[in-house]
Amino acid sequence: MAEAIARGKLIPPYLLSTPALLLYCALLLTPMLMTFLLSFNSFDLYTGIKPDYSLANYLEVIQDKYFHVIFLRTFGMALVVTLICALLGAPEAYILNRMANPWKSLFLLAVLGPLLISVVVRTLGWALLFGKEGAINQTLMGLGLVDEPVKLIFTSTGVVIALVHVLVPFMVISVWASLQKLDPATERAGLSLGASQFTVLRRVVVPQVMPGVLSGSLIVFALTASAFATPAILGGRRLKVVATTAYDEYLNTLNWPLGAAIAILLLVANVIIITSYNRVIEKKYAEAFG
Amino acid sequence: MSFLRLQGLVKRFGDFVAVDDVSLEVEKGEFVSLLGPSGCGKTTTLQMIAGFEEPSEGRIYIDGKDITGVKASQRGIGIVFQSYALFPHMSVFQNVSFGLEMRKVAEAERKARVMETLDLVHLGDFAHRFPRELSGGQQQRVALARALVIKPEVLLLDEPLSALDAKIREDMQIELRGIQRTVGTTTILVTHDQSEALSMSDRVAVMNEGRLVQVDMPYQAYEFPETPFVSSFLGKSNKFSGVVSGQSNGKLKVKVGELEFEAEAGRGPCEGPVHLSVRPEKLLLTAPAEGRFTGRVHTRIFLGNHWVYQIDSPFGPLLASHHNAGIQSVAEGEEVGLTWAVEELRVLAPEAGDG
Ligand SMILES: Nc1ncnc2c1ncn2[C@@H]1O[C@H](COP(=O)(O)OP(=O)(O)OP(=O)(O)O)[C@@H](O)[C@H]1O
Ligand SMILES: [Mg+2]
Repeated sequence: MAEAIARGKLIPPYLLSTPALLLYCALLLTPMLMTFLLSFNSFDLYTGIKPDYSLANYLEVIQDKYFHVIFLRTFGMALVVTLICALLGAPEAYILNRMANPWKSLFLLAVLGPLLISVVVRTLGWALLFGKEGAINQTLMGLGLVDEPVKLIFTSTGVVIALVHVLVPFMVISVWASLQKLDPATERAGLSLGASQFTVLRRVVVPQVMPGVLSGSLIVFALTASAFATPAILGGRRLKVVATTAYDEYLNTLNWPLGAAIAILLLVANVIIITSYNRVIEKKYAEAFG
Repeated sequence: MSFLRLQGLVKRFGDFVAVDDVSLEVEKGEFVSLLGPSGCGKTTTLQMIAGFEEPSEGRIYIDGKDITGVKASQRGIGIVFQSYALFPHMSVFQNVSFGLEMRKVAEAERKARVMETLDLVHLGDFAHRFPRELSGGQQQRVALARALVIKPEVLLLDEPLSALDAKIREDMQIELRGIQRTVGTTTILVTHDQSEALSMSDRVAVMNEGRLVQVDMPYQAYEFPETPFVSSFLGKSNKFSGVVSGQSNGKLKVKVGELEFEAEAGRGPCEGPVHLSVRPEKLLLTAPAEGRFTGRVHTRIFLGNHWVYQIDSPFGPLLASHHNAGIQSVAEGEEVGLTWAVEELRVLAPEAGDG
């Protein structure tokens, strides 16, 4: 009887989640499955997509230097953006957390506010700032700091700056969450034991918010590696990343199978990097934080 | 000269006075409890001694040195926080070792001192555990070891036992007192538990609304409270309001309603309206004719080693509590006489706003 009750209790949750599951399958899994199948088809410039199956697309990406550069650039950029976001976002969250209330809410809103604006709009804003005649260059030249305009638009520096701006709120939120679990008395305990403010920060606070920094890094890394709008607008035609390359294959070359293969490879690479990173971290923090 | 001296400490938060003119002298090696109801300013006082709150007025001296402006990290005071505040990412050993690392103690000596202190709190075998793998009582002892290992001149304990359940708490009280005696550190314990304060300390300092009301040895404070607040905060008491009507041979006559009681003129006031107080264990039950007045037993509660009676009397409900001496006790509803030995009646100044 107990079993029957237990089973009876289990069924409603499944039933209740069915509509969401169905939607999820229809809208996410189906297109992904179709992309996956498409990536094995071949493509002919004159006849289009042919319904045969081979690994040719994958081999092409894996063997071609052109794609290597794009993949390396993408993940290199993701790494740099993640590092900068961690270096900016963690102290930002810490300072925000220590502010008194009217300011705290105000600054938090300022940090998270950009999330409310479309990426495209924000990126176009950056494009205006970065341009040869843009505000940044006019200021720099006006101040006499540089003689000729600094090249920011269509460079990786420009893309990285804009991506950091887009993604730093995710780091702040993630570190913020782990700061809420930090007992402020541990900082006082450190001080009372003779540690300087800086030592307390380094040995007591940072290790405790590290899980937040690391999970924030995961989010930022994954979002950068698959970012599309920012590199497309600020990187231009030549500074390609994986996502923009897949897009070009789809829309310019019309080689959908190759684009699909690139997209799948990006997904697989992302999943591998993130899960192995996660595994390492879990091992490191399992003991102290459970 | 006293070792730790608080001189006219005041702490204001805006208009609110959290600590109001607190002066206290603590001898070297002494164990003083700071006792008072929630929000009376105990933690704030402790934080000022520790250096985490700046006094609005007043000075703090340790061993004759004025430390009022010294940074918390330079004071060399050991603190056990109410939440323990163990470093969750460090093992027990690393937690205890932290203070010694900050003092640049060489590794060999550091190891020896950490293990010695862990043995003192009976946690020698737990050095490699992490805080979350310990019970509340064990965490509390790690916090104590972490504070003691630096051999602080003063040890501050902020309700260190309040998170523990009753049984462990009693064990820890005895253990904490034992450790404090062994180490001989000057200690201030903050608590709102009167039995904890009475059982552990050399002296109790009773606080109310930011002020120190009475500082005395536990027995003295309990037996000779100076105000009705102390009398009711340290244990229970039966209170009557009356007016002094006369005085002879060191005895006061106090009129309470229709009756007149004698009391010894002690520390309290000698004239005008007063408060009389009798502890429940000093309120004796007799045959109806033999008492100072009579009452009726309303409820009778058996608590194993003693009985507690709630008695309806002309002066309102009274409490009496007596040892279970194996004799059949009076039954509920029975009429009893109520009396006390003259020297057990305390005369106190009435408190503002309370009868
Ligand atoms: N930072 C602060 N700002 C404003 N008021 C404060 C601040 N810290 C404490 N108070 C107030 O000061 C009073 C004393 O607080 P304190 O923490 O010292 O009480 P406590 O005696 O330790 O009480 P408890 O037994 O509940 O811990 C309280 O009324 C509290 O609201
Ligand atoms: Mg407190």
